[in-house]
Amino acid sequence: MDRLERLVNLVVALLDTRRPLSRQEVRERVGGYSEDEENFHRNFERDKDLLRQMGIPVVTEPIDPSRPEAGLGYRVPRDLYELPDAGLDEDELVALGLAASAVGFEGMAQSSTTTALWKLAGAGGAGSSRARPPAAPPGGPLVDVPMDETVATLFAGVTERRVARFGYNGRPRRVDPYGLSYREGRWYLAGFDHGREAERSFRTDRMSGPVELEGAPGAFVRPEGAPSGPVPAWRLGDDEEIVVDLKVDASQAQWAVTQAGESSVCGESSDGTTYLRLRVTNRAALRSFVLGFLDHAEVLGPPEVRDEVVQWLHTVEARDEPAGHRSSGTGHQAPAIGHRA
Amino acid sequence: MTRPSSAQRLARLLAIVPWVVAHDGPRVSEVCERFRISERELIADLNLLFMCGVYPYTPDALIEVDLEGGRVWVRFAEWFRRPLRLSAPEGLALVAAARAILGMPVAGNEKPSALASAVSKLETVLGAGGDDQLEIELGAASPDVLGALQAAVGESRKVLVDYYSFGRDETGTRVVRPWRVFSSEGHWYLLAWCEKVQAKRLFRVDRARSVTLLDDHFEPPGDLGPVPVYESRSDDPVVTLDLAPGAHWVVERYPHEGTVDMGEGVLRTRLRVSSKAWLERLLLRAGPSATVVSGADGVAAGAARRILATYGHVTSRE
Repeated sequence: MDRLERLVNLVVALLDTRRPLSRQEVRERVGGYSEDEENFHRNFERDKDLLRQMGIPVVTEPIDPSRPEAGLGYRVPRDLYELPDAGLDEDELVALGLAASAVGFEGMAQSSTTTALWKLAGAGGAGSSRARPPAAPPGGPLVDVPMDETVATLFAGVTERRVARFGYNGRPRRVDPYGLSYREGRWYLAGFDHGREAERSFRTDRMSGPVELEGAPGAFVRPEGAPSGPVPAWRLGDDEEIVVDLKVDASQAQWAVTQAGESSVCGESSDGTTYLRLRVTNRAALRSFVLGFLDHAEVLGPPEVRDEVVQWLHTVEARDEPAGHRSSGTGHQAPAIGHRA
Repeated sequence: MTRPSSAQRLARLLAIVPWVVAHDGPRVSEVCERFRISERELIADLNLLFMCGVYPYTPDALIEVDLEGGRVWVRFAEWFRRPLRLSAPEGLALVAAARAILGMPVAGNEKPSALASAVSKLETVLGAGGDDQLEIELGAASPDVLGALQAAVGESRKVLVDYYSFGRDETGTRVVRPWRVFSSEGHWYLLAWCEKVQAKRLFRVDRARSVTLLDDHFEPPGDLGPVPVYESRSDDPVVTLDLAPGAHWVVERYPHEGTVDMGEGVLRTRLRVSSKAWLERLLLRAGPSATVVSGADGVAAGAARRILATYGHVTSRE
């Protein structure tokens, strides 16, 4: 028997039953399993895993709650299985298909969009025009977005309002996930950190261990106006918050404002020099941001942050003495570094 | 073509059945078009479906499939009245794709309204309330510049670009054949043939100050294949660095020519460096965690001295 046929019958059997089915009942009701106990066991486990990977909610429950010795059984609750009606019309289906074809998801099976679009197409659109599948844009997707299991799990946490658990900066965290954002090739999670008792942002690629969702949906109320947007790197940290003043000269001002946000601008002089005020919880990231402008930007205050940057630069300068002054130098002359468009 | 897996066929079938059931004998061609499936594949899947049902698989316990006159009916498939719920990766993929497209800079106010309403309906179904739970920033770009470049790619028209070169810190105009516009790692890029240097070049769209469409057309290139955002050239000078753990991000973020573990967490790596300013930024950010082994003696110190001068610290050395 074709495995697909066995799988369809398995889904039917698990959807059809009101009470959980034991393994032996599954074997009796679903044709195509082996007579051999060991083969049956292995194939049933494989089938069950495949259904769960597809997102079919195969739940494991006591067969008879009053008789624990009866063991565990399986079923698929219909309310968890069925796609709620989104009420998408045909034009909206086409628009989603078009968007999906213009975006490439690196690191995650592109099949996620394919199966998602099948499901929505299967739900049927209202309206008369037909959902004609759009052609992919020539030359490949317009946009590449990397995506992985961690981001998908966190997205489920955001939409279902479930607490997320993960390791970060060497500490276990419990976070109410408020929102996800993608910026400069990275994903960020904003949420309420129970350990810190404060709102924090996290880079998803720095989370350690598997991200897990705990408890039931609806575990927290997302505050009105909760921050979820992309956060600059200098706000991604556990340092005590300080306010830092910067100036950026005209040639780089636009670029700095794009990164820091219009709201951080607190002045501009006639020559175009722009003054920024940033709230900082990650001083190392702030230093990197400022040094990225080379001699086009300067920390004005507070004094300890300005001194930190100066000290850092002195260290860099001292370590990079001309060859011969330090042990690892081999007398190479620095070759000219080429330039490119 | 690779054969679809059992999981893919099952996923497809579980979506097709509810639609066929609900539409009372749709045309086979319509089903195929809607689900992007060939007629042969559809018939194979349907032939299998009508052997499915519940124990004891007597005729009255089986799903009924009729194929007649180019139309198809599925009956007694009450289990499949709705498609399967979207999984977390599926929901994320669709919402992210839609948010990405909606977030693209567009000239005027031509947001695709069907897409905006679709994503908001989708988010409601997924349980997300409010459109600020997932934000995608594709990178800053002037809508006019981006729009003009997209139009030029579509029409295979040459363009005159007024471009600021970050590495050289200067602006200049050049005529290019725009091949492809795309966003990656948070920036918009133009892949083009530059007529000035007679070579393929990657331009950052946010550094183009203006774009003028010319009347000259060009022959669009064939398959471009994947476009690496960082593409070093073999004639770029090589810099060898020792990276302590605090600077391992360098090899995670930039292409390099291999690493050697030097022990105690130090990685030795070779980088092709095309722009001095780029190397200065890298060395200044890495600070004490990066040590130049060869190829860039004095680069970091020179940059540090220049910046210290703006802070009013002049080193006596020079």
